[in-house]
Amino acid sequence: MALFAPLSIGRQALLANERAIGVTGHNISNVNTPGYSRQSPVLHASRPDHQGFGNGVELEAVLRSVDGFLEARGLTSASSLAGATTGRQLLDRLQALFPVGDEGIGTALGEFFAAANDVANNPQDLAVRNQLIETGRTLAAQLRNAAGGIQQLQREADQRLGQAAFDGNAMLQDIAQLNREIIAAERGGRETSDLRDQRQVALGELAKQLSIQVVEQESGGVNVFSSSGQGLVIGTDAATLATELDPSELGLDGNPISRIGILARDGGVISLSGDVGGTIGTLLNLRDGTLADDAAALDLLATSLRDSVNAVQTNALGRDLDGNVGTAFFGGTGAADLEVALDDPRGIAAARGTNLADNANALALVSVAQQTFPALGGATLGDYFGSLHARVGQEARRAETAATIEENVAAGLASQRDAVSGVSLDEEFTNLIRYQRGFQAAAQLINVSNVLLDDLIGLIR
Amino acid sequence: MVSRVTERTLIADFRFAVSRLRQQQADAQNALSSQKRLREASDDPVGAARSTSLRGEAKELGAFRDSVTLGSSALGAQDGVLGEVHDILIRAREIASSLSGGLTTPEARQTAAEEVTELERGLLSLANTTVAGRHIFGGLSAGGPVFASLDDVGFSPATAYTGPADTFSVRASRDESIRITSNGGDVFTSSIQAIDDLRQALEGGGDPVASLATLESAANDIRQERASVGGRLSRLQTRDQEIGSALLTAKTLLADVEDADITETITQLAQVQNALEATLTAGTTLMQTTILDYLRL
Repeated sequence: MALFAPLSIGRQALLANERAIGVTGHNISNVNTPGYSRQSPVLHASRPDHQGFGNGVELEAVLRSVDGFLEARGLTSASSLAGATTGRQLLDRLQALFPVGDEGIGTALGEFFAAANDVANNPQDLAVRNQLIETGRTLAAQLRNAAGGIQQLQREADQRLGQAAFDGNAMLQDIAQLNREIIAAERGGRETSDLRDQRQVALGELAKQLSIQVVEQESGGVNVFSSSGQGLVIGTDAATLATELDPSELGLDGNPISRIGILARDGGVISLSGDVGGTIGTLLNLRDGTLADDAAALDLLATSLRDSVNAVQTNALGRDLDGNVGTAFFGGTGAADLEVALDDPRGIAAARGTNLADNANALALVSVAQQTFPALGGATLGDYFGSLHARVGQEARRAETAATIEENVAAGLASQRDAVSGVSLDEEFTNLIRYQRGFQAAAQLINVSNVLLDDLIGLIR
Repeated sequence: MVSRVTERTLIADFRFAVSRLRQQQADAQNALSSQKRLREASDDPVGAARSTSLRGEAKELGAFRDSVTLGSSALGAQDGVLGEVHDILIRAREIASSLSGGLTTPEARQTAAEEVTELERGLLSLANTTVAGRHIFGGLSAGGPVFASLDDVGFSPATAYTGPADTFSVRASRDESIRITSNGGDVFTSSIQAIDDLRQALEGGGDPVASLATLESAANDIRQERASVGGRLSRLQTRDQEIGSALLTAKTLLADVEDADITETITQLAQVQNALEATLTAGTTLMQTTILDYLRL
């Protein structure tokens, strides 16, 4: 019987090396597959026979090389990076509404009061009065453009929530389906490395939409929760993310904005709570926080400008070129609809009293530029706009910095993950040679055993 | 420290490094082409606020300078006119002096009366002087004369001024308004009255000597007004220099905030280009090196 042992050992070695070559080939073919974790054949010596002689080799398992902590950190990083990238995109467009230089609101404000000063110098000159109306229109148009741009950004952020929910749902379905397949496969004792990789990729995609917590179950499935603990995937059941317009919450454009959450059985939407994170979290923060705050600040600037200019223009002592008390210069309810209400340059009340060549009221209008407003925190109109401009710049810069940091973190994590899970062709080809040599040696073993058997059988002949 | 470096890591690192360097290259390129380091608020948020403030300050200073220019031209013209009016009063006093003592002939008195009449017309004409169509002794009002004509029916020096009673001021700084006109009546009524009295004395056979004191008093009024005009003109000129200096400072500060340091930017661009070339060379060499080139499978 001892002569048959090498044949059996050789056969097992052939099979083991053949499987190992297969695993190596699988690694090589997936060298560019996103999320793929390299697999390693685990060879071990077969149990010895009853006399203690070795029984060759067998493939015990195929290991998936992953670091659970890195995978979890990767999901957090995916959320942060997606949120920061979304923030950078929108805030970059926000700051474009507030250009630096001669095209900005600050310059328009300065030109408006310079034109008022021209009227004070030449109160009876219609061309100069016209210039004041035109600079007022330019200023109002710039404020309207900025406010309109913020409104559009807010509406876009709201609409993107629907897209984020749609993308998130596709991932939730994938994760539930992969859970189902993994649980079934592991019950049947089949390898699930590739399915787990696919599920990790899906989790990563879901994490881009919102922060998630993943809890692995003994069955092989994972339960997925939002950062505040709302269930998104429980075993093989996936929740549905949904948005619905909330009539009680109006956007800057006066139309209802969406509420995003989990679709309840009764068809209602249970809002996502806490720090949602990811793209959805950033969109919510921008829509309800940054953009709304900036729009409110712009409104405050516009209404302060409107009220202070109108107060001078409609002063009971003020007189226009026809000797009448002036009518309001600016109209509108805020930055979004600010307009010059005065069409006739004669209507500018530059004088005080009956002398129409007087400029006392125009000088009062010039003084508005230096007036401080309690509503603006004690700042002048120009200084308040300057601080708003700086704030918008800070927001964009913070988003830019956050995105850059998250990109660096993600790149570092990707390197670390690759160090553990990535396929190295150098390694794989070295392993290929190793297993090839093992296979060749096993074949040679069978050959030698065959020759020995032939020799033995030849003795009988 | 990463122990295993895979092909994917090499490629990702290479792509990341090249992308970052390309971004730096684009930034430097933009800074060079625009000559600006502050192109959007996020480049330097505090600088953006400073830029807004400095631009507003420059606009404001420009407006003040326009006011100062208007004031200087109005006061300069007033100074000239007041000098001429003073000369008229001196000439009238000479005439009055020359005719004192009652030794003159009726023809001489008639000639003198005619000259004084022309002096009075000249005075009224000077009081109606306009600059750019605006009466410098009528609150800078536009339109018709602010002083009545000698030929008007019922002409009286006391009511000759028909312009606005208000004076006209300009804003020369945030805290300073400077009056650039005076009430024409206050300035010229005594002068017109003195010359008119002299004219009527010459025409009516009165003693012109009686006008000497009023002419002297009127000349004194004109000298005082001229001194006031000179003082305000001087303030405006000082203010003009201050504005020029402040504008230069604002523009210099604005350039510090907004403009790119070209030497530094070119140096940065050269550094980025060197780093990019080195990265491209190293990256392509590393990525082309594979074990397959050395294996005989």
